Amino acid sequence: MAPEAVLSHLHRADGSATYTYNGYSIIGAVNGPIEVQRRDEMPEEATVEVNVRPAVGVGSPKERHLETLLHRTLQSIILTRSIPRTLVQITLQVRSLPADDTSTGVNTSLTLLPHLLHTSILALLSASIPLSTTLTAIPVAIPSSSKSAPLVSPTANDLLRAKPLRSIHVFAFSGDRKLLLNESDGAFSYEEWDEAYEAAEEVCCREGGVRLGEGMDVDMDVDMDGEGKVANLEAWLREVVKEKVGREQRWRVAT
Amino acid sequence: MPREAEVSVNERAFIQQALQENIRLDGRAFDAFRPLELTFGDEYGVADVQLGKTRVIARISVDVTTPQPERKFDGIFQIITEFSPIASPAFEVGRPTDAEVILSRILEKAIRRSNALDTESLCIIAGLKCFALRADVHVIDHDGGLIDASCIAVMAALQHFRRPDVIVEGEKTTILSIREREPIPLSILHQPLCVTFSYYEDGEIFLVDANLAEEQVRQGEVIVTMNRHGEVCQIAKYGGATVEALALLNCTSIALEKVREMSKFIQGKLEEDAKKRDVGGLMAELSAENAR
Repeated sequence: MAPEAVLSHLHRADGSATYTYNGYSIIGAVNGPIEVQRRDEMPEEATVEVNVRPAVGVGSPKERHLETLLHRTLQSIILTRSIPRTLVQITLQVRSLPADDTSTGVNTSLTLLPHLLHTSILALLSASIPLSTTLTAIPVAIPSSSKSAPLVSPTANDLLRAKPLRSIHVFAFSGDRKLLLNESDGAFSYEEWDEAYEAAEEVCCREGGVRLGEGMDVDMDVDMDGEGKVANLEAWLREVVKEKVGREQRWRVAT
Repeated sequence: MPREAEVSVNERAFIQQALQENIRLDGRAFDAFRPLELTFGDEYGVADVQLGKTRVIARISVDVTTPQPERKFDGIFQIITEFSPIASPAFEVGRPTDAEVILSRILEKAIRRSNALDTESLCIIAGLKCFALRADVHVIDHDGGLIDASCIAVMAALQHFRRPDVIVEGEKTTILSIREREPIPLSILHQPLCVTFSYYEDGEIFLVDANLAEEQVRQGEVIVTMNRHGEVCQIAKYGGATVEALALLNCTSIALEKVREMSKFIQGKLEEDAKKRDVGGLMAELSAENAR
């Protein structure tokens, strides 16, 4: 199943997106370029600010850590030099998490990270912030039994069933298929990492690659073919943007 | 951080003159609410309220802690409101605005201090263990009427929430998960709801449920919290406009009418949701709730 995205649905923010996938639901909003505070102002580039707000309670070190990761990744793809002395403010509100999220025993900030990345890129696109490229991200989990294949984009339920897990990785790729971000947790060899990387690249941006949803249940005989599936995550993103542009160009088409 | 854009002098004069001619910019009657939407999430205790363009999500969560030493028989109930830049770029993280302070104070008075939730029922073992309930209020979109919308969201979420059941054997307690036993609804004693009146023209004109532009032009506001039985929980007045004492009586009677409508609406939505969850009609058998 491809992720669901709703763009530009909030009235006050410059750009917004709601992203729903595998039980994760995140609302993202982008304000920018707006006035920046004196102390954060940079003469030649824009300041990027990321706020992650958990569904329950106020922010903790976990959210601060995610903010740092997102900040670095997004700063590298936003064309900050074309909008100097301004602020791009990205706020991500986690709306709901899968019910089994905490009991999977893996680092929950890693399973959340790709979804936050997707939400923020959608919100940035909705706010029409100049970007150098888009990004797609995916989590990959490696079960401890050596013969089973890596789980690509596992649901919380998949993770529970595949317990114990050896390691979990998050990969983010840019539009030109370059690795933008990698976060890994657990014990793994270089070969295992390479295998996970290949699997992630396949789903994220390889043309004619494995469809999202296939290859996840290798040992189970599940027929995953059907409608509502996209070639890869990049194609999904392209589809979402196409829809957005189509909506924005309605006035032109109508005349 | 940019400040909230103030309404221009022209716009202000326009709104005021229209009000004198008995017209609101969005064509509503003076005592009409904007269309209200309420949706519940898949989980228990998540309410998404849309009041016109204003959108508020309330989320209830529960934890087990030791009760406060001076209140051994009471559970803990907290309402947390924190504005984020999602709602408006003028809201800054970690620096509460006046509106935020007023909102949390009113919710505290309206819901917590009016004993809407029976905190004694959250106690597991006196002095040792109790449930700590927290209501997180997330403001997603801000177009005025935050207090009314948040109050609806919190009350609807509280009524929708189900807490896990517990087994107590002496000092030992076991919290049963959703899979083991059907969770129990909270014991709610009454349902307070807020109605905000905005005053214009030195207290001569008042509006119900002002939107953001109208809020920025108003001279004063009166917030009345009532339940559907007509009991006033609190009245707060902010701003400079003088309001006559008799006008407050008028306010409470209008508020009662609005609160009755809203309570009925929330009840209807809750029943709709319960029906949706009650697949196969097994809910009555599964329920672990004791009759009151």
